[in-house]
Amino acid sequence: MTDQGIKSRPRYQPLEIDPAGRHHLLVVPSEDVPSDAVAEGFAPSAFEVWTVVRKSALPPSAITEEAAGTVRAFRSPAHLFSALEERLARETMGLRLYAVGPEDFLWDVYGVGEKAGLSPQEMRFTHSGTKARRIFCVHCRAVTEKVTTSIVTCSGCGASLFVRDHFSRRLSAFMGVQVDAEAPGDVPAAEELYA
Amino acid sequence: MTAAPTLSVRIREIEPLGASLKRFALEPAHGGELPTPAPGAHILLTLRDGGRVMKNAYSLVSPAAARDRYEIIVRRVAQSRGGSAFLHQQAREGDVIDIGYPVNLFPLQAKARKHLLIGGGIGITPLLSHLHLLKARGLKFEMHQLCAPEEAGVFEALLAPYGEAGEILVHGTGRARFDLAGILARQPLGTHVYTCGPRTLMEAVATTASALGWPAGKIHKESFGENSGGLPFKAMLARSGIEVEVGETQSLLEAVEAAGIDAPCLCRGGACGECKVSVLEGEVEHRDDFLSAEEKASQGAIMLCVSRARGARLVLDL
Ligand code: FES
Repeated sequence: MTDQGIKSRPRYQPLEIDPAGRHHLLVVPSEDVPSDAVAEGFAPSAFEVWTVVRKSALPPSAITEEAAGTVRAFRSPAHLFSALEERLARETMGLRLYAVGPEDFLWDVYGVGEKAGLSPQEMRFTHSGTKARRIFCVHCRAVTEKVTTSIVTCSGCGASLFVRDHFSRRLSAFMGVQVDAEAPGDVPAAEELYA
Repeated sequence: MTAAPTLSVRIREIEPLGASLKRFALEPAHGGELPTPAPGAHILLTLRDGGRVMKNAYSLVSPAAARDRYEIIVRRVAQSRGGSAFLHQQAREGDVIDIGYPVNLFPLQAKARKHLLIGGGIGITPLLSHLHLLKARGLKFEMHQLCAPEEAGVFEALLAPYGEAGEILVHGTGRARFDLAGILARQPLGTHVYTCGPRTLMEAVATTASALGWPAGKIHKESFGENSGGLPFKAMLARSGIEVEVGETQSLLEAVEAAGIDAPCLCRGGACGECKVSVLEGEVEHRDDFLSAEEKASQGAIMLCVSRARGARLVLDL
């Protein structure tokens, strides 16, 4: 049950600019762009960067210019996402949207981009930081966050879920399937796999 | 190649729309209903003038939901390759002709948040059927139609029924005054552009849009192969063992058909890929939208409907 060989597991590339774009917006769920996630020759000044500082009081950055080279800080990912929705709704063609961060953040960004009409050709994602997974329980549909183990107890129905490699872009989560459905109570030991 | 199934239709009405445009309404010759076409679809007409057989592709302009008739608009071109002149001069109401089933190579994209339509001249025709659907579904659109000044009135009349549903502009003042880059630059995210008209216009739309950062997947062209003329050349058909002369105003496909060979074709505009034939010898001047840049460079194949020889002779595996 360990070899999963599943195709829906997303693959990521180091962050690189798409020269075909006219304006480049990069969002990260951290204070800085993680330096280990970027490709050689990456120039932050070519991007407009949105960061998350996770503080209720934002540093005074009065100018929120929408141009390459500017940085805008947000209180929380939720704060960033609502600004992103509003921003994309008034953007014009030619924008490229980039995200660097853990998987659940990336696919939340994907969802916002897709809703605004961006195609996969206009978005680029780079994985960085924790490999912890967001797990969607296929039985009760509850979501369990920050899962690092091969087996997890569902936060909704309490079932022992096997963490699959099957990733749903629509739900921005990996699938969790009850591991002891056939032999109740027969739950293998959880391994730490996604730290 | 087996011939595609055809439908028999009767010309119900011929309506002149301007100096060189006529609208033809076609109804099923033996009663019943016609197949439902997708918006943007075209049909292939087989026209017989004595012993001469001509095949021409025309976009349907009637609403997709109307199954009692198909409507097409035909322009009488100065250098007609036969089909359009035949329809303008000889076709009569009541005549029965054969048409192919509708084929759609120019569909509206379901995921688009907005549809930008750019037509040039008679390239308006597939866009008219898109407009029916956009209006019926209440979708967001913007349409720009370029044309000669004297035809602005005709196109305005054709577009009038859709004006209140979206933004429509007819530009009768020529390409120089048409701010293509400005229009493309201000489109909201999620817009798809559809263009049909002279090759130069479609190319300008595609290159300007990509320069402005539009991804290829949001740029859609419908070719009409009106540029299939050029210098005359000879084509040796290796399998059939005959040589055909391709005249200045004739396409290679038409020359092959005139020689009695039933070559496969669907769009006759360099888009569908149906008429692809291997090239054994000679250099091709590629004019299609089907082959990839690498395939074109390798000179291994030609699209019979629009492309020609660069030199005096081609040898084809046909
Ligand atoms: S007939 Fe469609 S590409 Fe030639």
